[in-house]
Amino acid sequence: MSSTNTAGAASAYWDDLGARLRELGLPAGHVRTTVADLAAHLAESGGTAEEEFGPVEEFARELVPGSMGEDPLPAAEGDSRVEVWRWTADTFVDEELLGRFGDEGWEMRRVDGLGRFVCHRDLDRPQRWEYRRELVTRGREGLDERLAPEGWEACGDWVIYAWFKRPRAASLGPAAELSTVPSAPSRRHFLSRRFYALLGLLATALAASGVTVALRDGDAASGLGYVTGLLAGAAVPVAGFLAWRRWRNRRP
Amino acid sequence: MTADRRASWFKGVLDLLVLASLTDGESYGYEIAKQLGAAGFGQIKGGTLYPVLNRLEEAGLVAAEFRATEKGPGRRYYSLTAAGREVLSEQGELWLAFDGSVRDVLAKAGVK
Repeated sequence: MSSTNTAGAASAYWDDLGARLRELGLPAGHVRTTVADLAAHLAESGGTAEEEFGPVEEFARELVPGSMGEDPLPAAEGDSRVEVWRWTADTFVDEELLGRFGDEGWEMRRVDGLGRFVCHRDLDRPQRWEYRRELVTRGREGLDERLAPEGWEACGDWVIYAWFKRPRAASLGPAAELSTVPSAPSRRHFLSRRFYALLGLLATALAASGVTVALRDGDAASGLGYVTGLLAGAAVPVAGFLAWRRWRNRRP
Repeated sequence: MTADRRASWFKGVLDLLVLASLTDGESYGYEIAKQLGAAGFGQIKGGTLYPVLNRLEEAGLVAAEFRATEKGPGRRYYSLTAAGREVLSEQGELWLAFDGSVRDVLAKAGVK
């Protein structure tokens, strides 16, 4: 195979991989860095993408945890059969939905790297769960200890929120055990109207400020530059916060 | 048969080996594959390694950071988290205990 053909084949492989990763729910930014990382690997290892990573469809599924058809997947956990379901929601509805799904026997185990709630359900003895969400913008000093006496256990955190769970058995006793449970929801994304409205409002405000500046200066580029500056300015504190979190998580 | 068995052993312990390879500091996929290859595990394909790295990241045992490089499109650097260190220590001890038991039984059977 000539080098041109090899480069063309690799390019097709990356395009296909990127499309499949997006289909599997990986955010666009994550897809971009994943493909770039794998391309850098291939540049060092040599060979073709197919030889190094295998068939693209299979590799894409293996790269996205939870996408191998195991959602929900009965799995062994001790002597129990457990099904697993990963889902995500915006912060306007997550508490309500956690309450609803907790009543259907879903126990949140953690929030994964993609911001999804990873929930398990015991198929043999499903129990009802309740949840509460706490804001942890100033850290969570003493929070776990304060909630522990009431039976709350930390089960996940994301940026500024920490979630806690408690088995309903703590208040209801044996009545908290479910005799039957509905099948796992087919949906995995729950975004509310308020979320979309907020998104629309932000986009409108951004566009309006850009247009205002462009009209004032009589230059479209000026408006575009203003909007870009606003976005970059907003990204700085977010990046700083994420870097601080990463640093804190890495501490031994 | 021998190759299949080695592949099966390797698959069972690869996550532990990846965590162990990060104890000296951050590294990236190809470097980890090279390091494990040099340790006697043979050539490790990206198709085997990256799903494991992603699962470790998702479980919070490694942290990943993508950094652009002067040459090329950039790389994702992996580092061990506090939870990763803890799991490595716990699971590493279990593996060594398992290895010790296998050695004892094989030694009694005269395998040297």
